[in-house]
Amino acid sequence: MNCCEFREQYSDFADGLLPPSSRAEADAHLALCPACRRFDAALRAGVTLLRGLPSVGVSRGFGPRLRRRLRGELAVRMPGMVGWSGAVGALLIVAAAGFIGWDWLETRAAHRGAGAQQASGSPGWVAAANSASHPGAGDPGLPPDLPRIQIETFHPLNSILVIEQAPPAPGQDRVRFDVPAVWGGP
Amino acid sequence: MTLAMKDALQSPHRTLGAPFTALDDGQVVQAFLEGNDRAFDELVSRYQVRLLNFIYRTVGDRERAEDLVQEVFIRIYRHLHRFDQTKKFSTWAYTIASNLAKNELRNRSRNPLVLFQTIKRHWEADHRPLQFEDSSSRPDDLFRKRHLRELVEQSVSQLPEHHRVVFVLRELEGKTYEEIAEITGCNLGTVKSRLNRARNNFAAIIQPHLD
Repeated sequence: MNCCEFREQYSDFADGLLPPSSRAEADAHLALCPACRRFDAALRAGVTLLRGLPSVGVSRGFGPRLRRRLRGELAVRMPGMVGWSGAVGALLIVAAAGFIGWDWLETRAAHRGAGAQQASGSPGWVAAANSASHPGAGDPGLPPDLPRIQIETFHPLNSILVIEQAPPAPGQDRVRFDVPAVWGGP
Repeated sequence: MTLAMKDALQSPHRTLGAPFTALDDGQVVQAFLEGNDRAFDELVSRYQVRLLNFIYRTVGDRERAEDLVQEVFIRIYRHLHRFDQTKKFSTWAYTIASNLAKNELRNRSRNPLVLFQTIKRHWEADHRPLQFEDSSSRPDDLFRKRHLRELVEQSVSQLPEHHRVVFVLRELEGKTYEEIAEITGCNLGTVKSRLNRARNNFAAIIQPHLD
């Protein structure tokens, strides 16, 4: 065995993993080679020193800091509650969907009712408190060219204020504003 | 306030997992998975110092090593329910630690600012006044011992990253070749080859100072 071969197999030699014949060759080479003897001695001394280094300990804040982070993990994951929160969430979605659907149906029904009411001739025009007037409404205090407001009520809780500028000036387009209104009357 | 809480406040380093000290790692893991949170305290207590020393010897920065150990436990906490309990918990914990340490070294080599801060911190540590730990020994002996300890630490830090991990796992953590292969994700032949090179390099660095 030469120095190169000895160094290549050194790990197995140091860990006692060489087969007996190879071990004998390595021992023989070591006995004859001062360089490899110094190499072997240096490694063993170095590892002994390394293992003798003081062990580092965790700082005083390590435990509390870790616990805080773990509490944060728990708050995000809530592993015990995942199943429950999923079921509750699904129930809420179904309930919300049901409410929205009911509301839409009610709205449509009320809208049809309001349309029928209109078709029956009721204009539904209302003079707004401050600024609306209806041509011929008979309110002498308000100028006739102010916008008039129509309230289309198609649901007790849902109304639209339709503001039309009337009468339109010659050459001027009629302007219509549909403004959602909350009906808070008695 | 319960007695356990008082105990924790007065001695925060003491584990609250006293009933678990007689159990092996697998049993402690099982206890945690069954809902006993204090079992996790026991795992932390068992592994925090070992992992800290492993990561510290690998990355060379004690403060950063402690951050990484925290991260190891966070990942263990997150994924323990997926851990294969037929395997050794120790190997799994070291695998996580090894991956984080390797990532840290890779990030450092790419980020000059992080590298500068690490060098600066080490420079400040190296230039602290000598402290004589052993008053019974001669000052020059103490100086030599300290010098040799520093030399040995530096020798390890000079090893290439993938050699260093294997060297520390074998020489300091006492892991078997098979465990090192599992931790590092390499085959046995690669582990032996890297360990051999690490030992050769380590001896070459330290030999002139020991002659």
